[in-house]
Amino acid sequence: MASFVCRSVFAATRRGVSTTAVRAADKAMNDPLEHATGLEKREILAKQAGREDPYEMQVYKRVAGTKEKPNLVPSVAEHRVVGCVCEEDATSINWMWLYKGEPKRCECGYWFKLIDSKPV
Amino acid sequence: MSNFMNHPYHLVDKSPWPLLSAFSVMSLVTGLAKWFHTFNVSLVAFSLFATTLIMIQWWRDVVREGTYQGLHTIQVGVGLRWGMILFITSEVLFFMSFFWAFFHSSLAPAVELGSSWPPAGIKPFNPFQIPLLNTAILLASGVTVTWSHHALMQNNYTQGLQGLVATVFLGLYFTSLQALEYYEAPFSIADAVYGSTFFVATGFHGLHVIIGTAFLLVCLIRHMFNHFSSTHHFGFEAAAWYWHFVDVVWLFLFISIYWWGN
Repeated sequence: MASFVCRSVFAATRRGVSTTAVRAADKAMNDPLEHATGLEKREILAKQAGREDPYEMQVYKRVAGTKEKPNLVPSVAEHRVVGCVCEEDATSINWMWLYKGEPKRCECGYWFKLIDSKPV
Repeated sequence: MSNFMNHPYHLVDKSPWPLLSAFSVMSLVTGLAKWFHTFNVSLVAFSLFATTLIMIQWWRDVVREGTYQGLHTIQVGVGLRWGMILFITSEVLFFMSFFWAFFHSSLAPAVELGSSWPPAGIKPFNPFQIPLLNTAILLASGVTVTWSHHALMQNNYTQGLQGLVATVFLGLYFTSLQALEYYEAPFSIADAVYGSTFFVATGFHGLHVIIGTAFLLVCLIRHMFNHFSSTHHFGFEAAAWYWHFVDVVWLFLFISIYWWGN
Protein backbone atom coordinates (compact mmCIF):
# COMPACT_ATOMS: atom_id res chain seq x y z
CA MET A 1 0.00 0.00 0.00
CA ALA A 2 2.72 2.43 1.00
CA SER A 3 4.81 1.63 -2.08
CA PHE A 4 1.78 2.13 -4.32
CA VAL A 5 1.19 5.56 -2.76
CA CYS A 6 4.84 6.51 -3.21
CA ARG A 7 4.81 5.40 -6.84
CA SER A 8 1.71 7.49 -7.56
CA VAL A 9 3.22 10.58 -5.92
CA PHE A 10 6.49 10.22 -7.79
CA ALA A 11 4.64 9.61 -11.02
CA ALA A 12 2.71 12.86 -10.67
CA THR A 13 5.78 14.94 -9.87
CA ARG A 14 7.70 13.40 -12.73
CA ARG A 15 4.98 14.68 -15.05
CA GLY A 16 6.03 18.17 -14.02
CA VAL A 17 2.45 19.32 -13.72
CA SER A 18 1.87 21.93 -11.13
CA THR A 19 -1.55 21.53 -9.64
CA THR A 20 -2.69 24.09 -7.17
CA ALA A 21 -6.16 24.03 -5.71
CA VAL A 22 -8.06 27.17 -6.57
CA ARG A 23 -9.39 28.52 -3.30
CA ALA A 24 -12.04 31.15 -3.06
CA ALA A 25 -10.83 34.25 -1.24
CA ASP A 26 -11.63 34.16 2.44
CA LYS A 27 -14.63 36.25 3.38
CA ALA A 28 -13.98 39.07 5.80
CA MET A 29 -16.09 40.30 8.68
CA ASN A 30 -17.47 43.78 9.15
CA ASP A 31 -15.30 46.68 10.15
CA PRO A 32 -15.43 46.74 13.99
CA LEU A 33 -16.65 50.34 14.15
CA GLU A 34 -19.39 49.68 11.60
CA HIS A 35 -20.27 46.51 13.48
CA ALA A 36 -20.65 48.25 16.82
CA THR A 37 -23.89 49.91 17.83
CA GLY A 38 -25.40 51.85 20.72
CA LEU A 39 -23.30 52.98 23.66
CA GLU A 40 -20.37 50.77 22.63
CA LYS A 41 -20.21 52.54 19.27
CA ARG A 42 -20.51 56.00 20.81
CA GLU A 43 -17.72 55.07 23.22
CA ILE A 44 -15.43 54.07 20.33
CA LEU A 45 -16.31 57.24 18.40
CA ALA A 46 -15.65 59.42 21.45
CA LYS A 47 -12.25 57.81 21.99
CA GLN A 48 -11.44 58.28 18.31
CA ALA A 49 -12.47 61.91 18.50
CA GLY A 50 -9.94 62.40 21.27
CA ARG A 51 -12.33 62.45 24.22
CA GLU A 52 -10.11 60.49 26.58
CA ASP A 53 -12.51 60.42 29.51
CA PRO A 54 -15.93 60.16 27.83
CA TYR A 55 -17.75 59.25 31.06
CA GLU A 56 -16.00 61.91 33.11
CA MET A 57 -15.22 59.37 35.80
CA GLN A 58 -11.52 60.04 36.23
CA VAL A 59 -10.09 61.66 39.33
CA TYR A 60 -9.49 65.34 38.70
CA LYS A 61 -6.78 67.38 40.32
CA ARG A 62 -8.19 70.40 42.17
CA VAL A 63 -7.44 73.84 40.84
CA ALA A 64 -7.37 77.05 42.91
CA GLY A 65 -10.99 76.40 43.84
CA THR A 66 -11.84 79.80 45.20
CA LYS A 67 -15.37 81.18 45.16
CA GLU A 68 -14.52 83.22 42.06
CA LYS A 69 -12.73 80.37 40.33
CA PRO A 70 -14.37 77.18 41.59
CA ASN A 71 -13.46 73.63 40.50
CA LEU A 72 -15.61 72.90 37.47
CA VAL A 73 -17.46 69.59 37.72
CA PRO A 74 -18.99 68.36 34.45
CA SER A 75 -22.43 66.75 34.71
CA VAL A 76 -25.07 65.58 32.26
CA ALA A 77 -27.82 66.08 34.83
CA GLU A 78 -28.87 68.97 37.08
CA HIS A 79 -26.97 67.47 39.98
CA ARG A 80 -23.96 65.26 40.64
CA VAL A 81 -22.18 63.77 43.63
CA VAL A 82 -18.62 65.01 43.95
CA GLY A 83 -16.01 63.78 46.39
CA CYS A 84 -13.25 66.00 47.69
CA VAL A 85 -10.01 64.44 48.90
CA CYS A 86 -9.20 67.27 51.23
CA GLU A 87 -5.54 66.54 51.78
CA GLU A 88 -3.22 64.05 50.14
CA ASP A 89 -3.24 61.54 52.99
CA ALA A 90 -6.88 61.96 53.92
CA THR A 91 -8.41 58.66 55.04
CA SER A 92 -11.87 59.51 53.80
CA ILE A 93 -13.49 61.32 50.91
CA ASN A 94 -15.87 64.17 51.58
CA TRP A 95 -18.88 63.45 49.38
CA MET A 96 -21.42 66.11 48.58
CA TRP A 97 -24.26 66.76 46.18
CA LEU A 98 -23.65 69.56 43.73
CA TYR A 99 -26.66 71.31 42.15
CA LYS A 100 -26.76 73.36 38.99
CA GLY A 101 -26.45 77.06 39.73
CA GLU A 102 -25.36 76.54 43.34
CA PRO A 103 -21.61 76.53 43.83
CA LYS A 104 -20.64 74.72 47.01
CA ARG A 105 -17.71 74.92 49.40
CA CYS A 106 -16.13 71.84 50.90
CA GLU A 107 -15.22 72.02 54.60
CA CYS A 108 -11.58 72.28 53.61
CA GLY A 109 -12.20 75.51 51.70
CA TYR A 110 -12.27 74.43 48.07
CA TRP A 111 -15.24 75.52 45.93
CA PHE A 112 -17.05 73.38 43.34
CA LYS A 113 -19.48 74.33 40.59
CA LEU A 114 -21.53 72.21 38.22
CA ILE A 115 -21.10 72.75 34.51
CA ASP A 116 -22.99 71.18 31.62
CA SER A 117 -21.68 68.22 29.76
CA LYS A 118 -22.99 65.92 27.08
CA PRO A 119 -23.30 62.17 27.65
CA VAL A 120 -21.40 59.76 25.42
CA MET B 1 -29.27 57.53 25.79
CA SER B 2 -29.89 59.03 29.21
CA ASN B 3 -29.95 62.63 30.34
CA PHE B 4 -29.32 61.61 33.91
CA MET B 5 -26.42 59.22 33.67
CA ASN B 6 -23.14 59.05 31.83
CA HIS B 7 -21.30 55.87 32.74
CA PRO B 8 -20.08 52.76 30.96
CA TYR B 9 -21.86 50.27 33.20
CA HIS B 10 -24.82 48.16 32.20
CA LEU B 11 -27.75 48.49 34.55
CA VAL B 12 -29.76 45.51 33.38
CA ASP B 13 -33.45 45.83 32.57
CA LYS B 14 -35.85 43.89 34.76
CA SER B 15 -35.66 40.21 33.92
CA PRO B 16 -37.58 37.15 35.13
CA TRP B 17 -34.75 34.72 34.44
CA PRO B 18 -32.74 34.97 37.66
CA LEU B 19 -35.71 34.13 39.89
CA LEU B 20 -37.17 31.54 37.53
CA SER B 21 -33.82 29.81 37.10
CA ALA B 22 -33.48 29.65 40.89
CA PHE B 23 -36.82 27.86 41.10
CA SER B 24 -36.07 25.52 38.23
CA VAL B 25 -32.67 24.42 39.52
CA MET B 26 -34.13 23.93 43.00
CA SER B 27 -36.75 21.75 41.39
CA LEU B 28 -33.98 20.00 39.44
CA VAL B 29 -31.99 18.95 42.49
CA THR B 30 -35.15 18.04 44.36
CA GLY B 31 -36.09 15.91 41.36
CA LEU B 32 -32.68 14.26 41.45
CA ALA B 33 -33.17 13.27 45.08
CA LYS B 34 -36.68 12.02 44.25
CA TRP B 35 -35.30 10.01 41.36
CA PHE B 36 -32.65 8.40 43.52
CA HIS B 37 -35.14 7.38 46.19
CA THR B 38 -38.28 6.56 44.21
CA PHE B 39 -36.91 5.83 40.69
CA ASN B 40 -39.47 8.33 39.36
CA VAL B 41 -37.84 10.56 36.77
CA SER B 42 -40.72 12.93 36.04
CA LEU B 43 -39.67 15.86 38.22
CA VAL B 44 -36.04 15.85 37.13
CA ALA B 45 -37.02 15.48 33.48
CA PHE B 46 -39.44 18.38 33.64
CA SER B 47 -36.98 20.54 35.61
CA LEU B 48 -34.20 19.84 33.14
CA PHE B 49 -36.48 20.94 30.33
CA ALA B 50 -37.51 24.10 32.20
CA THR B 51 -33.92 24.94 33.16
CA THR B 52 -32.80 24.52 29.56
CA LEU B 53 -35.51 26.85 28.28
CA ILE B 54 -34.63 29.46 30.88
CA MET B 55 -30.91 29.27 30.11
CA ILE B 56 -31.64 29.70 26.42
CA GLN B 57 -33.77 32.77 27.06
CA TRP B 58 -31.38 34.35 29.57
CA TRP B 59 -28.36 34.01 27.31
CA ARG B 60 -30.45 35.06 24.32
CA ASP B 61 -31.14 38.28 26.25
CA VAL B 62 -27.42 38.76 26.97
CA VAL B 63 -26.70 38.42 23.25
CA ARG B 64 -29.46 40.92 22.48
CA GLU B 65 -28.07 43.41 25.02
CA GLY B 66 -24.49 43.07 23.82
CA THR B 67 -24.69 42.54 20.09
CA TYR B 68 -27.93 44.23 19.14
CA GLN B 69 -28.18 47.01 21.73
CA GLY B 70 -24.46 47.77 22.03
CA LEU B 71 -24.54 47.85 25.83
CA HIS B 72 -21.31 45.88 26.23
CA THR B 73 -18.79 48.69 26.62
CA ILE B 74 -15.14 48.06 27.47
CA GLN B 75 -15.91 48.26 31.17
CA VAL B 76 -18.74 45.78 30.85
CA GLY B 77 -16.33 43.49 29.01
CA VAL B 78 -13.93 43.69 31.95
CA GLY B 79 -16.73 42.55 34.25
CA LEU B 80 -17.70 39.70 31.94
CA ARG B 81 -14.06 38.55 31.80
CA TRP B 82 -13.81 38.56 35.59
CA GLY B 83 -17.04 36.60 35.74
CA MET B 84 -15.89 33.89 33.37
CA ILE B 85 -12.48 33.59 35.01
CA LEU B 86 -13.97 33.29 38.48
CA PHE B 87 -16.51 30.74 37.26
CA ILE B 88 -13.79 28.61 35.65
CA THR B 89 -11.78 28.89 38.87
CA SER B 90 -14.74 27.56 40.83
CA GLU B 91 -14.94 24.65 38.38
CA VAL B 92 -11.24 23.95 38.87
CA LEU B 93 -11.88 23.65 42.61
CA PHE B 94 -14.87 21.42 41.87
CA PHE B 95 -12.64 18.99 39.96
CA MET B 96 -9.93 19.22 42.60
CA SER B 97 -12.30 17.58 45.05
CA PHE B 98 -12.66 14.55 42.77
CA PHE B 99 -8.93 14.30 42.27
CA TRP B 100 -8.52 14.50 46.05
CA ALA B 101 -10.97 11.65 46.45
CA PHE B 102 -9.11 9.59 43.84
CA PHE B 103 -5.71 10.09 45.40
CA HIS B 104 -7.09 9.52 48.89
CA SER B 105 -8.23 6.03 47.93
CA SER B 106 -5.48 5.12 45.48
CA LEU B 107 -2.31 6.23 47.26
CA ALA B 108 -2.89 3.88 50.19
CA PRO B 109 -5.27 1.22 48.90
CA ALA B 110 -7.40 -0.38 51.60
CA VAL B 111 -6.97 -4.01 52.55
CA GLU B 112 -10.53 -4.63 51.31
CA LEU B 113 -9.29 -3.77 47.83
CA GLY B 114 -6.45 -6.24 48.10
CA SER B 115 -4.04 -3.48 49.14
CA SER B 116 -3.45 -2.74 45.48
CA TRP B 117 -4.48 -0.16 42.93
CA PRO B 118 -6.24 -0.98 40.70
CA PRO B 119 -8.13 -3.10 43.22
CA ALA B 120 -8.03 -6.85 42.84
CA GLY B 121 -10.38 -8.03 40.12
CA ILE B 122 -10.71 -4.67 38.38
CA LYS B 123 -9.49 -4.60 34.79
CA PRO B 124 -8.80 -0.94 33.95
CA PHE B 125 -8.64 0.57 30.47
CA ASN B 126 -5.38 0.45 28.58
CA PRO B 127 -4.46 4.14 28.64
CA PHE B 128 -2.68 3.93 25.31
CA GLN B 129 -5.74 2.91 23.35
CA ILE B 130 -8.91 5.04 23.29
CA PRO B 131 -7.81 7.32 26.17
CA LEU B 132 -4.67 8.30 24.27
CA LEU B 133 -6.72 8.98 21.14
CA ASN B 134 -9.03 11.14 23.25
CA THR B 135 -6.02 13.06 24.53
CA ALA B 136 -4.89 13.70 20.96
CA ILE B 137 -8.40 14.78 20.00
CA LEU B 138 -8.68 17.34 22.79
CA LEU B 139 -5.19 18.69 22.20
CA ALA B 140 -6.00 19.06 18.51
CA SER B 141 -9.24 20.81 19.40
CA GLY B 142 -7.21 23.31 21.43
CA VAL B 143 -5.22 24.03 18.30
CA THR B 144 -8.30 24.42 16.12
CA VAL B 145 -10.02 26.79 18.53
CA THR B 146 -6.86 28.92 18.70
CA TRP B 147 -6.67 28.89 14.91
CA SER B 148 -10.27 30.05 14.79
CA HIS B 149 -9.57 32.84 17.27
CA HIS B 150 -6.57 34.16 15.38
CA ALA B 151 -8.57 34.05 12.16
CA LEU B 152 -11.31 36.10 13.82
CA MET B 153 -8.80 38.65 15.08
CA GLN B 154 -7.34 38.92 11.59
CA ASN B 155 -10.81 39.60 10.19
CA ASN B 156 -10.92 36.23 8.40
CA TYR B 157 -14.55 35.09 8.54
CA THR B 158 -14.01 31.90 6.56
CA GLN B 159 -11.17 30.45 8.59
CA GLY B 160 -12.84 31.56 11.81
CA LEU B 161 -15.79 29.43 10.77
CA GLN B 162 -13.64 26.49 9.68
CA GLY B 163 -11.77 26.46 12.98
CA LEU B 164 -15.01 26.47 14.94
CA VAL B 165 -16.47 23.65 12.84
CA ALA B 166 -13.32 21.59 13.38
CA THR B 167 -13.37 22.23 17.12
CA VAL B 168 -17.04 21.29 17.50
CA PHE B 169 -16.47 18.16 15.42
CA LEU B 170 -13.54 17.12 17.61
CA GLY B 171 -15.60 17.73 20.72
CA LEU B 172 -18.38 15.50 19.40
CA TYR B 173 -15.83 12.88 18.38
CA PHE B 174 -14.41 12.85 21.94
CA THR B 175 -17.88 12.50 23.45
CA SER B 176 -18.82 9.59 21.18
CA LEU B 177 -15.57 7.76 21.90
CA GLN B 178 -16.02 8.25 25.63
CA ALA B 179 -19.62 7.02 25.40
CA LEU B 180 -18.35 3.93 23.61
CA GLU B 181 -15.77 3.40 26.37
CA TYR B 182 -18.47 3.71 29.02
CA TYR B 183 -20.61 1.17 27.19
CA GLU B 184 -17.76 -1.29 26.79
CA ALA B 185 -16.28 -0.86 30.28
CA PRO B 186 -15.75 -4.12 32.17
CA PHE B 187 -16.36 -2.32 35.50
CA SER B 188 -19.18 -0.09 36.67
CA ILE B 189 -19.59 2.82 39.10
CA ALA B 190 -20.60 0.30 41.74
CA ASP B 191 -17.32 -1.58 41.54
CA ALA B 192 -15.65 -0.44 44.72
CA VAL B 193 -14.10 2.97 45.14
CA TYR B 194 -12.29 2.48 41.82
CA GLY B 195 -15.57 2.61 39.95
CA SER B 196 -16.79 5.57 42.01
CA THR B 197 -13.72 7.70 41.47
CA PHE B 198 -13.36 6.74 37.81
CA PHE B 199 -16.93 7.37 36.73
CA VAL B 200 -17.60 10.43 38.86
CA ALA B 201 -14.41 12.17 37.71
CA THR B 202 -14.60 11.19 34.04
CA GLY B 203 -18.38 11.54 34.08
CA PHE B 204 -18.32 15.15 35.25
CA HIS B 205 -15.54 15.80 32.79
CA GLY B 206 -17.65 14.36 29.97
CA LEU B 207 -20.54 16.57 31.04
CA HIS B 208 -18.24 19.58 30.83
CA VAL B 209 -17.11 18.51 27.35
CA ILE B 210 -20.75 18.44 26.28
CA ILE B 211 -21.34 21.87 27.82
CA GLY B 212 -18.19 23.25 26.16
CA THR B 213 -19.19 21.79 22.81
CA ALA B 214 -22.64 23.37 23.14
CA PHE B 215 -21.05 26.74 23.97
CA LEU B 216 -18.79 26.48 20.92
CA LEU B 217 -21.74 25.46 18.77
CA VAL B 218 -23.61 28.58 19.90
CA CYS B 219 -20.53 30.62 18.94
CA LEU B 220 -20.51 28.90 15.55
CA ILE B 221 -24.13 29.85 14.93
CA ARG B 222 -23.56 33.41 16.16
CA HIS B 223 -20.55 33.71 13.87
CA MET B 224 -22.72 32.64 10.96
CA PHE B 225 -25.09 35.44 11.94
CA ASN B 226 -22.19 37.92 11.92
CA HIS B 227 -22.37 38.69 15.63
CA PHE B 228 -18.57 38.86 15.94
CA SER B 229 -16.21 41.60 14.84
CA SER B 230 -12.44 41.31 14.78
CA THR B 231 -12.12 43.24 18.04
CA HIS B 232 -15.31 42.35 19.89
CA HIS B 233 -16.12 38.66 20.31
CA PHE B 234 -16.06 37.98 24.02
CA GLY B 235 -18.58 35.13 23.80
CA PHE B 236 -16.09 33.30 21.62
CA GLU B 237 -13.21 34.06 23.98
CA ALA B 238 -15.20 32.80 26.96
CA ALA B 239 -16.03 29.58 25.07
CA ALA B 240 -12.37 29.15 24.15
CA TRP B 241 -11.24 29.67 27.76
CA TYR B 242 -13.79 27.10 28.93
CA TRP B 243 -12.67 24.68 26.26
CA HIS B 244 -9.01 24.98 27.25
CA PHE B 245 -10.03 24.35 30.87
CA VAL B 246 -11.88 21.18 29.79
CA ASP B 247 -8.78 20.08 27.90
CA VAL B 248 -6.50 20.64 30.90
CA VAL B 249 -8.81 18.69 33.20
CA TRP B 250 -8.66 15.79 30.75
CA LEU B 251 -4.87 15.90 30.75
CA PHE B 252 -4.89 15.58 34.54
CA LEU B 253 -7.45 12.77 34.33
CA PHE B 254 -5.40 10.94 31.74
CA ILE B 255 -2.15 11.23 33.65
CA SER B 256 -3.50 10.35 37.11
CA ILE B 257 -6.51 8.09 36.68
CA TYR B 258 -5.84 6.38 33.37
CA TRP B 259 -2.05 6.17 33.36
CA TRP B 260 -0.73 6.36 36.92
CA GLY B 261 -3.81 4.57 38.25
CA ASN B 262 -3.26 1.62 35.97
